[in-house]
Amino acid sequence: MSKFKQTLNYILKRLALMVLTFVVIFFICFILVRLLPTTVDSGMKDPEIFYKTMVSQGRMKQVVDQYGKVTYVTTPVFEQLWIFLKGLFTPGNPYPWGLSYKIEWLNSPIDVLTKRLPSTVLINIYSMLISIPCGIGLGIFMALKKNKWQDHVLSVLVMLFISVPSFVYAFLMQYLFSYVWQILPSMTESSSVGWFSWAMIKSMILPVLSMCFGSIAGFARYTRAELTEVLTSDFMLLARTKGLTRAQATVRHAFRNSLVPIFPMILGEIISVLSGSLIIENIFSINGVGALYLQSIQMRDYDVFQFVSMFYITIGLFGTLVVDVSYGIVDPRIRMGGGK
Amino acid sequence: MRRVDLIKRIIKIACAVCVLAGIVVGSILGTKGDFLDSLLKGTLIGLIPAAIYAIYSLIHNGIINHKKDKERKARSAVKATAPKVVLPEGTKPEEIDPSLFAKSGNEDLHDQAFETKPVSYLMDCVKRFAKNKASIVAAAIIAVIALYAIIVPMASPRAYVNKIEYPTGFRDDHFSYVLPYNQMFAGSGFWDGTKKENKSETDYIIAINDDSNHNPVVQFYEKVVTKVGAGTSTSYKIRRDTYAVGAQLVKLNQAGYDKLVSYNDSLPDDKKMMRPIVDSQKYISEYKVELENEMASKPDTDLTPAIISDIVDKLTSYYNQNSNVWFKMTATKKNGTHSSNTFRPVLSNDKDLNSVESIYMKDSSDNYVYFENHGGEYTVRVDYFDYFSYKNGFTPYYFFGSNSSGQDIFLRLAQGTRFSLLLGIGISAINLIIGLVWGAVSGYYGGTVDLVMERVTDIISTIPSLIILTICSIQFTNNAALKAALGDGIVVLAFLVAFVYNGWIGVAGTTRMQFYRFKGQEYVLASRSLGAKDTRLIFRHILPNAIGTLVTSTVLMIPGVIFGESSLSYLGIINFSTSGLVSIGSLLSEGQTAGLQYNPHVLLFPCLIISLLEISFNLFGNGLRDAFNTTLKGSD
Repeated sequence: MSKFKQTLNYILKRLALMVLTFVVIFFICFILVRLLPTTVDSGMKDPEIFYKTMVSQGRMKQVVDQYGKVTYVTTPVFEQLWIFLKGLFTPGNPYPWGLSYKIEWLNSPIDVLTKRLPSTVLINIYSMLISIPCGIGLGIFMALKKNKWQDHVLSVLVMLFISVPSFVYAFLMQYLFSYVWQILPSMTESSSVGWFSWAMIKSMILPVLSMCFGSIAGFARYTRAELTEVLTSDFMLLARTKGLTRAQATVRHAFRNSLVPIFPMILGEIISVLSGSLIIENIFSINGVGALYLQSIQMRDYDVFQFVSMFYITIGLFGTLVVDVSYGIVDPRIRMGGGK
Repeated sequence: MRRVDLIKRIIKIACAVCVLAGIVVGSILGTKGDFLDSLLKGTLIGLIPAAIYAIYSLIHNGIINHKKDKERKARSAVKATAPKVVLPEGTKPEEIDPSLFAKSGNEDLHDQAFETKPVSYLMDCVKRFAKNKASIVAAAIIAVIALYAIIVPMASPRAYVNKIEYPTGFRDDHFSYVLPYNQMFAGSGFWDGTKKENKSETDYIIAINDDSNHNPVVQFYEKVVTKVGAGTSTSYKIRRDTYAVGAQLVKLNQAGYDKLVSYNDSLPDDKKMMRPIVDSQKYISEYKVELENEMASKPDTDLTPAIISDIVDKLTSYYNQNSNVWFKMTATKKNGTHSSNTFRPVLSNDKDLNSVESIYMKDSSDNYVYFENHGGEYTVRVDYFDYFSYKNGFTPYYFFGSNSSGQDIFLRLAQGTRFSLLLGIGISAINLIIGLVWGAVSGYYGGTVDLVMERVTDIISTIPSLIILTICSIQFTNNAALKAALGDGIVVLAFLVAFVYNGWIGVAGTTRMQFYRFKGQEYVLASRSLGAKDTRLIFRHILPNAIGTLVTSTVLMIPGVIFGESSLSYLGIINFSTSGLVSIGSLLSEGQTAGLQYNPHVLLFPCLIISLLEISFNLFGNGLRDAFNTTLKGSD
């Protein structure tokens, strides 16, 4: 079997497995969420319309008792699941994922989520653009200066930034930059000023910084460990005896080899661009996906909660798949599928 | 001994002396006042040189590397070897003079008995652990934090107040958001409960005319006049003592009043606690007449009966809310219009900011009145700081400041740390047990059992625990039976379920790996052929090999749980505060409501503790991992 065919086979197999896992998780989540009590509370805009849409979606049944009093009873969970699946595969169904009742009155969760995506994606991309080069550069520097004072100082710093929770330095920066020195805004602008306007970029500096410190430290530690391992291996000695300078040997032989486990890490980061950090978005009041998730939990907007949860789970599953597959593509020595 | 080593030893001894001196001085100072407070302060100050030395040696020697030590040892080993014998070139073996060589030892060669004691596995680990300075320091920090969390809630007088009066712990609304105070720094402007502030003229006049024993204005910097439109606005840069809350009204019964009066009489004249009652009602009625006269006499005034009654209402509530104001206040006037929302003091001399006009209540013989009696309930106006000390038996100074309802952050942080640590250790222990059993079964039996169990863990690990937590907390709080059985502990149960639900997967994975490694080895086969049962093989032969890795992963799980709890509480997804529990996370969310801009100290101390805990647990865990790693034996 050719290499390409083998890889394709492996990817297809993993994809099928991923879909299977997704379906099982979806069933579990669906049943758990639908078992939650659906009641009208004070936050509801119009209970009458809520009940009507619930009945029309097959999630509740109208019961009229002998005195003519109207009550609503939730349909059994498995019946709801069946109705939901039918709705999902019916073309032309406007609301296959239910409706938002609290965050945006009678809007589809898909719309609610897509509105929040840009700010999350932007902030994540900025932080990625900073953290990947910085982290890898720092890691290379540390590996080359191994066991010198630069390495010791940076190792201590990296250890600090990995251990200290990200919200602590988010608070610290917010306090210093926006309250004491007052040079940066403490909150991000609303989207009305334009995504790439100066005001928006300025207001995104603090959240981006507080997000990338942790990942810079992570990348630096990982790169250092990988590179020091490669630098001590035998083929590096061969490269030097062959006549390459230290710089040539490091860049062409050591760095390329050390990238093998780092590249999948970067890919994983790229995929997780879509998922927002709950706590950073809360501190800097970013109206992103993380904030939506939090809102849906606090306001008990179940349909949005379910949709965003499935969104996060899909990203997670897809991320692991891409990382696993990319190992084989980056490094031809790794064989796919783990056959004999 | 080399000079550097000598200096190092001296520094070490000096550090130890500093710590001891700190403890001794702290406890001597503490005999006068709050013993524990001073003791802790002394110890902390004494720890500073030790901490500086530890950080220095950390950076100097590296966290894990002992390269320099190794080099030094190698050098000294070379020196110790015997002088070389140099033979002239071309010497044949037969020509070598045998007298150059000596026979070593006895004629007969025997195996010698071991002179050294055998080192057990555990001792070996302890030795390796002791070599790692960073994790020793980390372990010490964890121990200090744990002691803080255990001792402070037991020793603080604020933890032993009347449970009926203060069902959720001691609080005093008058001392809300006071800044951290430490006696050692009193008057230094740092950690002494004072705050640099810009005060408006009205606030400044009220502050400098405060009639209590404690002056709110510690230091006056400058008067700032800024142009606002056509006019100017004046503000004053001062340093304000947040503990000077002024005189407040207190309601007492007959017995309490008598006790207070006799205590007040025993005080020296300049320390008297009771202040004359402010007769605001009389003044306001006078002021009303004045305003009505103005309305009648001046045709161009903006006053109407409606405005006057509005001003009177607002002024009445102003005096009720600000019992430290004992002088005439009047509605501010701007361009001829009266404002009923802001008031300013009446000055008899416009140049002199101290010339406020008193409205103390006086009786018929022109003496000040110190109490009002309404049906047996006495209302007195007292210097609240002194009254607090009199009533509670301890001063209202807060080592870490206070939160919005005037609760001691030092005490609450200790309680929160205790709870968070317990939660972390408990959840890690549960996870260890579940993961151990699951991983052992899956790893030992392998095959189909393993395959099925792996798929189950796959699915469980993909569902974020946030979803489970949300669903659990909603389901549990709606479950009447569960709520009746558990009461307030229901939030903890939801949290427990969510963190145990996929927390054990890591442990299970490690255990499974270890079982795969060891189950095929010869000694297991030997034991099996001798008739050992599965349970014996698992628990006696294979599991002890994995214990080091498992302990490490369990220890490293603790900071994870603490971090998870704190961020979830901060976000408000779980809320321990309604059930009267305090965790580091609930303190963080208190800091969020307090506002980072105005009251940063509420957030600072929980952040510090959680950062310290995370760093130390990570270092400690790494040290444990190296200690349990037998392949590192003899590598340094």
